[in-house]
Amino acid sequence: MSKLGQVIESIEKYNKFVLDQVRRARTDQQFGRDLLGRWNDIKAKTPITRTPTGLPLPRLALPEIDEPGEIARYLFGEGFPGEFPFLNGAYREMYLEPVRGVESFEKNGGRARPVRAGLASGAPAKKLPQAEEPTRLFSGLMLAEDTNERFHYLTQHQRTHRLSTAFDGPTLYGIDSDADGVFGKIGEGGVAIDTVEDMVRLYDGFDLGSPDFSASMTISGPAPIIMAMYIAAAKRRFGPKVVPKLRGTIQADIFKEVQAQNETIFPIEASLRFLTDMVEFTTREMPRWYPISISGYHIGEAGSTPVQQAAYTLSNGFAYAEMFAARGIPVDQFGPRLSFFLDCGLDAEYIALARVSRRIWAIGMRDVFGAGPRGQLLKLHTQTSGRSLIAAEFKNNLTRTAAELILAYMNATNSCHSNSADEPFTTPSEEWIRLAAHGQAILLEESGIFKHTMNMLSGSPGMKAVERAVELAILDEFREIERLGGVLAAVEDRYQRSQIQNAAHRYEQQIYDGTRPLIGLNRYRNGSDDIPEVKLARTPRKKQQLQVDRLAKFKKKNAEKAKRALDKLAAVVERGENCLPALLEAVEVCSLGQITGRLQEVVGRFRPMV
Amino acid sequence: MASPIRILTAVPICDGHDSAINTINLEFIRHGIEVIYLGYHRSVGDIVRAAIQEDVRAIGISSYNGGHVEFFAEVVALLRKRGSDIRVFGGGGGTITHEDAAIMRRKGVDEIFFAGTSLDDMVKFVHQRYGKPRGKRTRAKRSDMELAHKLSEIEDAYASGKKPLTLNARRRMSKAEAKQNQTSNIKHQTSKVIGFTGPGGAGKTTLIDELVLRFLHQNPKGRIAILSHDPSVIGEGALLGDRATMINSQDDRVFMRSMATRGQAGGLSPATHDCLALLARSGFDCVIIETVGTGQEAMPFRKNGIVDLTVLVMNPDYGSRLQLQKIVMLDIADIVVVNKSDLQRARTAHTEIEQRLQQNRRGQRLIDTVAKRHRDPGVDQLFDLISMVGRDRSEPDWHQACQTRGREKS
Repeated sequence: MSKLGQVIESIEKYNKFVLDQVRRARTDQQFGRDLLGRWNDIKAKTPITRTPTGLPLPRLALPEIDEPGEIARYLFGEGFPGEFPFLNGAYREMYLEPVRGVESFEKNGGRARPVRAGLASGAPAKKLPQAEEPTRLFSGLMLAEDTNERFHYLTQHQRTHRLSTAFDGPTLYGIDSDADGVFGKIGEGGVAIDTVEDMVRLYDGFDLGSPDFSASMTISGPAPIIMAMYIAAAKRRFGPKVVPKLRGTIQADIFKEVQAQNETIFPIEASLRFLTDMVEFTTREMPRWYPISISGYHIGEAGSTPVQQAAYTLSNGFAYAEMFAARGIPVDQFGPRLSFFLDCGLDAEYIALARVSRRIWAIGMRDVFGAGPRGQLLKLHTQTSGRSLIAAEFKNNLTRTAAELILAYMNATNSCHSNSADEPFTTPSEEWIRLAAHGQAILLEESGIFKHTMNMLSGSPGMKAVERAVELAILDEFREIERLGGVLAAVEDRYQRSQIQNAAHRYEQQIYDGTRPLIGLNRYRNGSDDIPEVKLARTPRKKQQLQVDRLAKFKKKNAEKAKRALDKLAAVVERGENCLPALLEAVEVCSLGQITGRLQEVVGRFRPMV
Repeated sequence: MASPIRILTAVPICDGHDSAINTINLEFIRHGIEVIYLGYHRSVGDIVRAAIQEDVRAIGISSYNGGHVEFFAEVVALLRKRGSDIRVFGGGGGTITHEDAAIMRRKGVDEIFFAGTSLDDMVKFVHQRYGKPRGKRTRAKRSDMELAHKLSEIEDAYASGKKPLTLNARRRMSKAEAKQNQTSNIKHQTSKVIGFTGPGGAGKTTLIDELVLRFLHQNPKGRIAILSHDPSVIGEGALLGDRATMINSQDDRVFMRSMATRGQAGGLSPATHDCLALLARSGFDCVIIETVGTGQEAMPFRKNGIVDLTVLVMNPDYGSRLQLQKIVMLDIADIVVVNKSDLQRARTAHTEIEQRLQQNRRGQRLIDTVAKRHRDPGVDQLFDLISMVGRDRSEPDWHQACQTRGREKS
């Protein structure tokens, strides 16, 4: 049985354990009395807060139960926020005043580019950071110096500098700016990075080793090379001692790329091997780095159902954990360095999707992988659904996003990004980004929904019903993947891809036949869309040419050394050793495209699935 | 009846957004259009080369990742540079503004579809704009284009029911072809022809692509042609999608043509034989022909036909042992490949097929491959074997070699 099969068993076993505890609480008087005592004690000790109108409320809301069986069901089945199995939240207090967990983001070129602030924003209450205005980051445009300038502008009034980097198409596919037919794509939708020199320019002026700085990079296919460039750039500026201090996240989610996003450059197994090299390296050398962001967002946006999104993301996560453990990396080293990224739309499943996911992850990591408390946490970044937004009468999108935000926070997400209403037809404009960011501030700071009481909207009968249905459906998906031979086999069999495409097709069909109402599109349509005139900022040709010229100069300068470095890298990969040390040397003298090309000679290229 | 409209669709380089084009492809096919789908993340050079070889009427590009103004313009410019009459259209949802579209039209793009354009409108556009038969065409500047034009003539002749051009096509060799023959490193007029057949999903396309990679590597000046087939019904559309996964075959030394079977059973098209004959005389070192996924009764390659060597590619999951007795090609194929031999059932499959082949006593060779694996030793072995076949269609000398090797093994 694969690890996923064991996960399925562990969940079933845990659910049975909960029922046993319920029964025991009802039959074993001593046990029942202890539980009731603990319950009443916690209730009595819960601090009271006051709303602006003077109404007293507990900081933690709990169900009105006084029967030992039901108390057992709550304590073991869902747990207090911050307690196993973490159904109600990964941490004890979240969103409570003073506010945190708010971020805002930009979508670049119509493609989701999450800005991930340090997940530490969900840290225990005593470490509360100072109140921050919701950060608003533009994350990648034109050349490195242009993005750098934007980074500085955006963080000028901030105490902590959390940068998020979106890369342009050529960089995402690991090719150089001088490749055939990519000229027009240089610096579009993200920043153009060809060499370590670009990387130095990109973060110039920021203190990369500071505990208040973190860099996130949304890139998967060439992630190991890009991370090596980042390390090399940091070393050039701050010396080798900076490496263990580096903080940040790199997406590096290969399964998701193959299942949904199509930005894979090496064959799957080679990609996974490079990923594992990277995780092995960072857990040893860069303990504050998040080397992967396990992403369901792109699966959801590609058209999956919410259950598919959660099931594929979680099973991908367990498959990664299995790989990392097989490499010999201790689970308590890699476990806490995994993070998740989910979509939140308007379907009923989203009432509890992330809650259920957190519980499954915790049980699986504890009982199958033997992870300690920090490795059991599903630390979650959520983004509202881009797919749920439509161009027709687009101002309605504000309401859609607001509803999704409430759902995301009901699920106790650790950080969240709200989409701009104008995204269906353009790269978000300043005006709508501001409204999207303020939507979060209104919800968390202005309204009393989340800031007074933890668990404020948790545990309604409806939510419980959704939890049960969603968990069953996720386990069902797990079983099918297990039946196909596990995640890797299912991926190669195109299972997830086909399921996602099928769900996407059904979704479109439902819009078409009206069974999925979209207000302003197939229901209550008034005909006027009122789409504002779109003006897009494009990268000027002069800049694109500059990037190509710089690259030519770099290649010329390093031609001799590049050859040797690439030979060494190829030899290391042939021998099956961890490629990171050789990559770190190679990025000093080779471009991204040179390295990708050479690696592809050794391990092959990804063959697209259609 | 006229030939269906043939168009090529693709997503530009550095762009993985393929869901729109997948939907549009299906709609085109439903409305009688033959779509050669090149896939996503495709360069200008790859798109233009493929369009010229396939001799399509137009290229449809779906771009969602920016840089479309330049990309579309480069495709048009390269087509014109090559002297091609192929047209270009496309779309990109909300990413292409009206202003962009105006520039793109000025640069020679026929039409840009915006967000909200119905699929019906796109289909109507293709039919109206590219549906009329081509007039007399000027002589092609380049040999590959000329070859492509001739293949179209053969296909069109069969579609319209006119007397096939068989003899002409076979006999007449253009100056360009003759010149190629002179410059090519082979002396023979006829290329080596290798036929690949087998059930759908066995991995024929991937296997061929891996063989092409090895061929290009070992023959720095060698040229290879591929004639690939996908099923279609007379007068209806087809999805010709092999190119989308054939990453190694997008090369100037590879001439690939995708054909729809247009109603003919057995895995090939009515025009196949003539097209193959033409390709075999066009100076390639090797011509590969791939049938559609075939059933048990299929026998696409005739004995003593134009094909020198036949390869049957099988999947380990063929069902019961009895099923093997029914597969006619197992009697005929020179080489049988069990691909996906990493699957659990592969060992059983190998044993059962081996026994089945022994009944024939023909010295047929059985090879296990995992084509999806980079540098798979089984594919290497297949490549070596194929390379041994003489171009003179004599009994391949490897029969002897195989038997000897087989004995050594046992």
